Amino acid sequence: MNPPPQKTSPLSRRQFFRAGARVAGMTGMGLLCGILAPRASARTTVWQIDPAKCLRCGRCATECVLTQSAVKCFHTHAFCGYCQLCTGYFVPEPNGLNTAAENQLCPTAAIRRTYIEDPYYEYAIDETLCIGCAKCVEGCNRFGNGSLYLQVSQDHCLNCNECAIGRVCPGDAFRRIPIDHPYLLKTTSH
Amino acid sequence: MSELSQPTRVTRRRFLWQGIAGASVLGVMGGLAVRAVRSRQGAEDRAPNPFAYEMGHFEQTDASLIAYERVAGFRCPRPDPRRLTFDARGRLCLAAGNYVSLLDTAGATLSEIALPGPARALAAASDGTLYVGLRQQILAFDAQGQRRATWDPPPGKPWLTGLAVSETDLFAADAGNRVIHRYDRSGKPLGRIGERNADRNVAGFVLPSPFLDVELHPDGLLRVNNPGRHRVEAYTVDGHFELAWGKATAAIEGFCGCCNPINLAVLPDGRCVTCEKGLPRVKVYDLHGEFESVVAGVEAFPENAKAGAGDGMTDGVKAGLDAAVDATGRIYVLDMVTGDVHVMANKPGQALAG
Amino acid sequence: MMNQVKRRKELRGAAWLWALGWGLGRSVAEQRFPPPDFESGYQLPLTQTPAPRSLLLQYVDVGILAVALALACYLVYRRRSRTGVLALSLFSLVYFGFYREGCICAIGAPQNVALALFDSTYALPLTAAAFFLLPLAVALFAGRTFCAAVCPQGALQDLVLLRPVKVPAWLEQGLSVIPFIFLGAGLALAATGSAFVICRYDPFVPLFRLSGSFMLLLAGGLFLLLGMFVGRPYCRFLCPYGALLRLASIVSKWRVRITPDYCTRCQLCETSCPFGAIRTPVALPANPLALAPERKRLGWLVLLLPALVAAGALLGSRLTPVAAKLHPTVALAESYLDPHRAPTPPGVQTPESLALGRAEQNPTELIASALDVRRRLGTAMVWFGGWVGLVIGVKLIRLSIRSGRTDFEPDRAACFACARCYLHCPNERVRLGLMPASELPAIQPLPAPTLPQTGSHTT
Ligand code: SF4
Ligand code: SF4
Ligand code: SF4
Ligand code: SF4
Repeated sequence: MNPPPQKTSPLSRRQFFRAGARVAGMTGMGLLCGILAPRASARTTVWQIDPAKCLRCGRCATECVLTQSAVKCFHTHAFCGYCQLCTGYFVPEPNGLNTAAENQLCPTAAIRRTYIEDPYYEYAIDETLCIGCAKCVEGCNRFGNGSLYLQVSQDHCLNCNECAIGRVCPGDAFRRIPIDHPYLLKTTSH
Repeated sequence: MSELSQPTRVTRRRFLWQGIAGASVLGVMGGLAVRAVRSRQGAEDRAPNPFAYEMGHFEQTDASLIAYERVAGFRCPRPDPRRLTFDARGRLCLAAGNYVSLLDTAGATLSEIALPGPARALAAASDGTLYVGLRQQILAFDAQGQRRATWDPPPGKPWLTGLAVSETDLFAADAGNRVIHRYDRSGKPLGRIGERNADRNVAGFVLPSPFLDVELHPDGLLRVNNPGRHRVEAYTVDGHFELAWGKATAAIEGFCGCCNPINLAVLPDGRCVTCEKGLPRVKVYDLHGEFESVVAGVEAFPENAKAGAGDGMTDGVKAGLDAAVDATGRIYVLDMVTGDVHVMANKPGQALAG
Repeated sequence: MMNQVKRRKELRGAAWLWALGWGLGRSVAEQRFPPPDFESGYQLPLTQTPAPRSLLLQYVDVGILAVALALACYLVYRRRSRTGVLALSLFSLVYFGFYREGCICAIGAPQNVALALFDSTYALPLTAAAFFLLPLAVALFAGRTFCAAVCPQGALQDLVLLRPVKVPAWLEQGLSVIPFIFLGAGLALAATGSAFVICRYDPFVPLFRLSGSFMLLLAGGLFLLLGMFVGRPYCRFLCPYGALLRLASIVSKWRVRITPDYCTRCQLCETSCPFGAIRTPVALPANPLALAPERKRLGWLVLLLPALVAAGALLGSRLTPVAAKLHPTVALAESYLDPHRAPTPPGVQTPESLALGRAEQNPTELIASALDVRRRLGTAMVWFGGWVGLVIGVKLIRLSIRSGRTDFEPDRAACFACARCYLHCPNERVRLGLMPASELPAIQPLPAPTLPQTGSHTT
């Protein structure tokens, strides 16, 4: 059995410095809190695409940190022409106006085409398949009404500190918006 | 004992050596960082979009089909130009924003008429009266530019996009109600043309976007575009459907996209000039509705081709073309995106036989 | 029904926002051309707007962080239980790592704070503030218990540790300045709103998400491979938040003590730390004069410090144009102004040509904002350069300071509080009843002080 070593003085110089530094550290963090308090907010922001700025470059499909992008195509039906020949649905020169795979523009066949009445068809996006490539958006914008557009689907998005797509978006279309209104939908006033 | 336990046992030589090693590690890392940043705008920025919407060869026009050349041109005096037409005195009437500008054929402004709202339709009668279609209303101006009448809006959800006038009647294309209204010259409604009616063999207008134009043809029939069905239709003034021509294809002989043509003009000899959006192009169709020649192809309107049709302004138009024909058969083409008017004339010696 | 009402409410809110955002050019929400009147009574479907992760769940994250931190301190200092720490770190790896997919994370949080400090339009999420402050506050009192059991990145590396090798002292010391430099760069770029490099170059988050760019996944794999032989390579040689925790734990109130009682200098624990944190006892020479050459060198180094800071600041301002390229606005403005820019062939739409098209629409505004960014970055780069100089200078000074030590004890800053070393101490084994007190090794004398080798000195 070893004898215990002698006790050192209760408060050494170092301990004193440390205590001082700790107080200083806590004060600093308190100060930081004070400065940040007005800037901090429970109303966190999320990333969203301004459809008016999107240039449909295809990066939304390739740059998201998720394998299947959190960006999806959204459809404002009130803008839609319900076209028989939807340029968002069909390749530029389809063999026929039917749902055959080779006629579909969407690389993942994420758009559902349903007959409503002559000559109108409804187009709906299957979010689970859409990869946000904006191909249909380009087709719809170019010839049609622009009722298809991209949005960050908030249930998929991880809300990265810096959106990996927004960083390289050529249209500078990404911005942070308040979490309680997390979409920039196209809407009409009629 | 290990070195780690005695970080203070440092000689000058070792100190220098470690310093150099440390500095070079830092230097290499820094250099790598700088290089990484430098090459940031790397190949990926220049790689084409793997999901590009490819129109491919449809964006090029076969030069041998182009029968017109640009002989003159000018810029619209006002922003947001929408329509143009010629009045009986040969002046060019141009609806832009809340104005109608009257121009000479070289583009100099002769006079202007201020409007209470943006105009989307124009028609000039032979007596000098100018009819202007606002979104919901038709206004009539005399040759001096004084407003003579303001007609009641048609019932329903009117969205007027085209006008045509004869000696006795005025025809108003109402895209909102998907119908052509027939009025007498005083504004009294006389009939509705082109409404879906299986008994009269009228299929009805399919209008995904507000583009419905009506023109009077020398044969006495109306020519109306039906963009959703990719064709031009002919009706008698009483609303009998007579004929239709046109097919849906992005190829040069047809009408591209979901809904084209958007605007029409008629040459003195009755051939039809069509304007398209999406693939902006102006073409001439003969009396039987067969494709004849190209006035101006996609190459002539690069900005317009880029703009995209749909993301519209308040009148639902962002891209598009309009055309008007003067007495000599020259075609004035309005590019709504750039605000340019191109004066197109037959290429010498290339006038194709109609 | 409820859902529909909610969705309609959301729609109305979105409409309002949309009018605000887009209305700059247009005064009201657009009057659009109506869709056709359907004769079949078809109703227009509403656009689905899936809700983001609820705020409540974000507060749950903060709560779990706080509980985990408290539990970690308890396990390290009261229970002195490696098994407990390991179990907690496994939980953290699963929850913060694989379930929350590395987001929210303390490592990136300093950037949010920096951005919030300098950009008044940025709303700092309360969760980010909490993830920044809580582990730091704990470290001020109890050292790096966050690293030990709460940080998923740390837990992952800890888990793959197979056969640790000792990193040579010069390399260890040299590399240990990198976290501070990385921290400085991350803060400078975040404060100017240019980039969040700390998040972007985190090698483990892509592994948590099982997706990411090939290079990053590769880097993550390499780090794990390296981590089998070098304990926690990211934590020790890169982690910028670790740099902050290091500073905080230098002054912490409680710390890891290998022995629960007193140190007999038996050396049994000497190699037990896979992270090279354990320092051996050192005696100071009885006669301080023996250290005169070292003091002199220390003096020179203290004088060198301002020079290093100044040189760093100068270098930083020189590197501003390079750093500015990280900012998309500056990069775009530069390529727009580049006289040698190749004209884009018609028809081929690349992101670059699309961006240039945007630049052409409003070049003056773009160039103005690019200049503004560059000006702000210029200031930040001067600070960053100075910081690098300071870090290197202070490191050199620290290397030249000799301090005495009587026990085998972990370096406060370097110790991750992983509790591995405890069981190597015979006193601990006695405490736990794993061996009888009579078998305790005898107290060893302090090793004799090693004096500078004066032979190589010329002055
Ligand atoms: S990266 Fe930007 S421009 Fe490209 S598709 Fe996405 S939002 Fe549109
Ligand atoms: S074309 Fe692209 S953006 Fe459109 S639905 Fe398909 S995957 Fe989504
Ligand atoms: S914030 Fe992250 S997850 Fe969301 S869209 Fe951007 S990159 Fe994808
Ligand atoms: S607790 Fe012990 S083994 Fe773990 S890091 Fe600290 S000194 Fe090393």
